Amino acid sequence: MRDHDRKLFLASLTDRYVKRQIDRRSFLRSAGQLGLGLGAFGLGVTRPFGGHFTPVAHAQDLRPDPDVLAWVREVSKPFAGTTLKLATESTPPSNALNSQLKQYFEEASGIKVEIEVLPLEQVLQKLTLDIASQLGTYDLYYIDQSWAASVSRDVFDPREQYAAKPDLAMPNWNIDDFLPALVDGICVYEDRWVGVPYDIPIFIMMYRRDIYEQLGMSAPTTFEEYLRQAQRISAETDLYGATGQMKSGHYSLECDWTAWLWGHGGSIFNADRKFSGNDELGLEAMAYWDQLYKTMPPGVTTWTWDGQGQSIAQGVAATMMSWGEFFPYFDDPSATKVSGLMEAVRCPAPVRSLRTVEETGFGEIPGVGHQGGSSLAVSMNSKAPDAAWIFMQWVTCQDTQVLITTLGGGTGPTRNSVYDDPRVIANNRVGPGTTRHLNVVRETIAKDMGSEPDLPEWAELSNDTIPVRLGKYFAGDYGSAKEAMDDIAKAVDGIVRS
Amino acid sequence: MAAVTPHRRWFLSDHPAPWLLPLVAILVVFAIYPLIYNVWLSFHEYASFRRRVEYVGWANWIQLFNDPRMWSSLTVTFIYFFAALALQLVLGMALALLLDADEPGFGLLRGLLTLTLVIPPAVTGMMFLLMEDPQFGVLSWLLNAVGLLTPATPILATPSLALAGVLLADVWQWTPFMVLIFLAGLRGLPPEPYEAAMLDGASWWTVFTRITLPMMAKVIAVAVLIRGIDLFRVFDYIFVMTSGGPGEATYTLSLYAWQQTFSFIKWGYGATLSLLMLVIVLVMANLFIWLAKVRW
Repeated sequence: MRDHDRKLFLASLTDRYVKRQIDRRSFLRSAGQLGLGLGAFGLGVTRPFGGHFTPVAHAQDLRPDPDVLAWVREVSKPFAGTTLKLATESTPPSNALNSQLKQYFEEASGIKVEIEVLPLEQVLQKLTLDIASQLGTYDLYYIDQSWAASVSRDVFDPREQYAAKPDLAMPNWNIDDFLPALVDGICVYEDRWVGVPYDIPIFIMMYRRDIYEQLGMSAPTTFEEYLRQAQRISAETDLYGATGQMKSGHYSLECDWTAWLWGHGGSIFNADRKFSGNDELGLEAMAYWDQLYKTMPPGVTTWTWDGQGQSIAQGVAATMMSWGEFFPYFDDPSATKVSGLMEAVRCPAPVRSLRTVEETGFGEIPGVGHQGGSSLAVSMNSKAPDAAWIFMQWVTCQDTQVLITTLGGGTGPTRNSVYDDPRVIANNRVGPGTTRHLNVVRETIAKDMGSEPDLPEWAELSNDTIPVRLGKYFAGDYGSAKEAMDDIAKAVDGIVRS
Repeated sequence: MAAVTPHRRWFLSDHPAPWLLPLVAILVVFAIYPLIYNVWLSFHEYASFRRRVEYVGWANWIQLFNDPRMWSSLTVTFIYFFAALALQLVLGMALALLLDADEPGFGLLRGLLTLTLVIPPAVTGMMFLLMEDPQFGVLSWLLNAVGLLTPATPILATPSLALAGVLLADVWQWTPFMVLIFLAGLRGLPPEPYEAAMLDGASWWTVFTRITLPMMAKVIAVAVLIRGIDLFRVFDYIFVMTSGGPGEATYTLSLYAWQQTFSFIKWGYGATLSLLMLVIVLVMANLFIWLAKVRW
């Protein structure tokens, strides 16, 4: 079926080239991005039609920098035989780290690293139980940005660690290389750094190029245009125009909501730290969402991000404004029907100017590119904080981050320098683990990024209070959006006040 | 001859204590201590900013009765409990009666029935989640094909259908358990009353209601008791399939207790909710034992 889709697209491409609707350069570029051998068309290019896609960036050639490993070897001598534990969400970086990279660190350092890869909810449970019991079961914490406020006093500030232990400091670790927007959005709570940015799933716009070309449309630049396009795709093709991650009671639903809310100039909290999703702009966002919802597949209210990604991958929906981490997966021809058919661009521009941080509450940063990044930090309860600090520096250094990005399947880097690394750029082609969306990710982080507020109650608000009521709204349990948002306001303000 | 120490003599005597000690130890560690700790915890709450458990008096118990989410989840739990129990009881008995035969092949069918019981409930939940998916699910497709459902009505995202969608998974997995218990009972029934009824020309229905059901009463009571206690704690299917949604349509008490305890780290309130469940189960089970005159 995926070959069928690709062939269809190629056939249409060829047809337009023959009819002189596109020039030779556009034809070659599009065909090349499809990963198709143009030799099949007698044009003399090397790859055969339907040939194999390049696997993730010559994985066998990707090895850690020997100089970095030499530093690990030297500095870890006193800690050989130590065992470190980390519980992390099952994300591409963590999976790459666990399955392919930690072995290099273990061999060089003599430190054993046990990584538990778990669903996000379980990571939160383990982390909070570890903090509450102060047992130090985990030496490093994977901290979702929504938990930063809650755990800020339980982890070391990496700046202090770096300064306090010069003998353990990795040369050229360069803490200033982390993207400043990510540091602000993910790690900083009050005046402390809650670790350093570790991964950065962020909302970008992804769409089916073939469908857009078929309908003569270009990527949406405004919310209004996006809605019209989604409606048109639903009406004129077999696909749904948009899709979502709208499972009732799930954090993913709250993520979708914030994108529409922020994009309409609204915010979760106002400057008085009161819920403001029920104000005029909040209701305008809900009205927009209602319209867009009608262009989504029926199952959208039963899905989290997994179902959303699948609805694109299986050719059910044509566009999504969602986590950029999906993009490399869409390009994998062995897993999806849309390899080479997807394009990534920045999210459409907001309907009106965004609220400033000063106009919101709890450090909320409005932006259409909702970020769900996480940080990595050494626990204050760790029994081996120095060994954990060495591991953390290694994991978050530029060289390891490059390997994580490439081996981890094109996941978004948190360091500026990684985006420009030749090993990352080499994967800028159609195929699994592509990095051809990373420029969009980088631009979104710099210009569009939205971050949730930092308050200890946020885990409860974002995982229950808000998404349960939004779920009730889409299930028809409220008479109107106003009623739903007023109910959320009452519940949120009650929890924040108590 | 080696001297027998008093200690050794005590162990060799007929005194029951040495033989009961392991069981008592297990009970103390795994049942009594956690219960006492839970009661203690229900009068305390974890203060996340101070990183310690603090005494809060009756606050958790008062909150319990003023919490609309608790009442709504209790209602859902009862609906789930009665619906699942009724379905599994009726279907279980019907299937047991059908399978109560010695013809070739019936033994195999009885064996196959046990297969659902070895699947972890979370896996069953995932299976039905996919089957009920409006886009990819075979069950949704089937219901669409026969006109009972439209593609615009996702089972698990429609408040009026979501609980039924979850119940389906539970009924599919646990009806065979009832069948097995009922079959064991049926195959142990004496043949004489049936022979007498046949001679008297009793109908199938009369035989079933006047002979089979009364003689099976104790077996049914035990099955209802075991399955009922289990049903009241339902968690896996709900967690996997709906996370309690849409809205609060499938939010059960155990899911709420879990969420309060582990997601929001309100250990005291979570303990209070779990104690409430314990009290309800104890009252209902004992009431049922008394009414059904179950003798252990």
